[in-house]
Amino acid sequence: MSLEAIIIYGLAIGLTIVSAVVDRDKTKKGFIKGTKSFLKLMPVLIPLFLFVGILLAVITPSFISSLLGEESGFVGVLLGLSVGSVTFMPPFVAFPLGKELLQSGGAYPQVAGFLVTLMSVGVVYFAAESKFFSKKSAFLRNTVSLIGAIIVVGIVAVIYG
Amino acid sequence: MIKFIRNNKFLVISLLLLAIMTGVDISLTYTALENTRDQLLDMLLIVLPIFLLIGLFDVWVERDTVIRLMGQSSGLKGMALAFFLGAFSAGPTIAAFPLAMVMLKKGARYSNVLFFLMVWSSLKLPIVFFQVTQLGFEFAMLINAIMLLVFIVAALISEKFYTRSELDAFEEKAEELS
Repeated sequence: MSLEAIIIYGLAIGLTIVSAVVDRDKTKKGFIKGTKSFLKLMPVLIPLFLFVGILLAVITPSFISSLLGEESGFVGVLLGLSVGSVTFMPPFVAFPLGKELLQSGGAYPQVAGFLVTLMSVGVVYFAAESKFFSKKSAFLRNTVSLIGAIIVVGIVAVIYG
Repeated sequence: MIKFIRNNKFLVISLLLLAIMTGVDISLTYTALENTRDQLLDMLLIVLPIFLLIGLFDVWVERDTVIRLMGQSSGLKGMALAFFLGAFSAGPTIAAFPLAMVMLKKGARYSNVLFFLMVWSSLKLPIVFFQVTQLGFEFAMLINAIMLLVFIVAALISEKFYTRSELDAFEEKAEELS
C-alpha cells in the first residue's frame, strides 16, 4: 500500500471511530450519504478508466522517453506538454522517469512541461470534471494549468537552457 | 442509439479503440484491459475512504461554518484554508472532485474551491517531497513556486468569467449529485 493510501485510510478510519463514539446515528447517516454519492458517481468513472487503460497501453514510459530526448528541442516541448496533458500516470512512475531523462542528457524544459501537465492538466478527466462542476469550470481549470505549464517551460528554458 | 452514443462517448470510443487494437496486435488489447483493471483498483482503493470522509463531512460540518471559513466573504482566510486542505492531501485529482463538490454544496466560494482543486492537483505535500527527492530541490521548487503563483492569480480572477447565476448553479448541481 502506498503512503497516500495509508494516510487516507488512517484519516477515514480514525475519524469514523471518533464520530461513532460521539454520535452513532449521525455516523450511520454519514456512512449512508457517502455510499450514495459513491454509487451515483461510479457510472461516470468506470468507462473513463477503460479509456485510461487503453492510453497507458500505447503511451508507455519508454515511448515517452523517446519523445522527450535531449535533441527533441521545441517539438519535444510541445510533445511533452501534450503527452502530459493527455496521459495519466502515477507520480511514483512519472518522477523517476523525469529524473532518468534529466540524467541521460538535460532536456529540462521538455521534462518540466511533461511533469507539470501530467499533474495538473487532465484531458481524460474532462468528462468527469464537467459532470461535477461544469464544462466551463473544467475548461478553465485545465487551461489555467496549461498556461502555468507553458510559463514553467519558458522559465526553465531560460535558467537551464 | 444516437442518444446512447452521446451519453456514453467514452465507452463507445474505448470499445472502438479496443477493436482496432485487437486487429493490430491482440497483446495490446490485453495490456489495455490489464491497465484498466489496475487503474480501477487503484482508484477504488483511494476513493472509498474519501467517500467515507465526504459522508462524515456532510453530517458533521455545519453549512454556516463552511460559509464563514470558505464562503463569499472569507477573503484571504478562505484561500489559505483551501491551500492547506489541498496541500495536506493524498490521492489523484479525481478523488478531489467529490470533495470539492461537497464544499460547494455547503456554501464554499467557487474561487476557493477551484484553488483547492488546483493545489491538490499539483502541490500535494507527499508528492512535493517525492518530487524533491527525484528532481532535486531547486528544479522542483522552481516548478512549484511558478505553479502556485499562477494558481493564486487564477483563483483571484476566476469568478470574473462567470455570471452570478452560473456560480449559483455549482451549488445546485452539487446538491443534486450528493
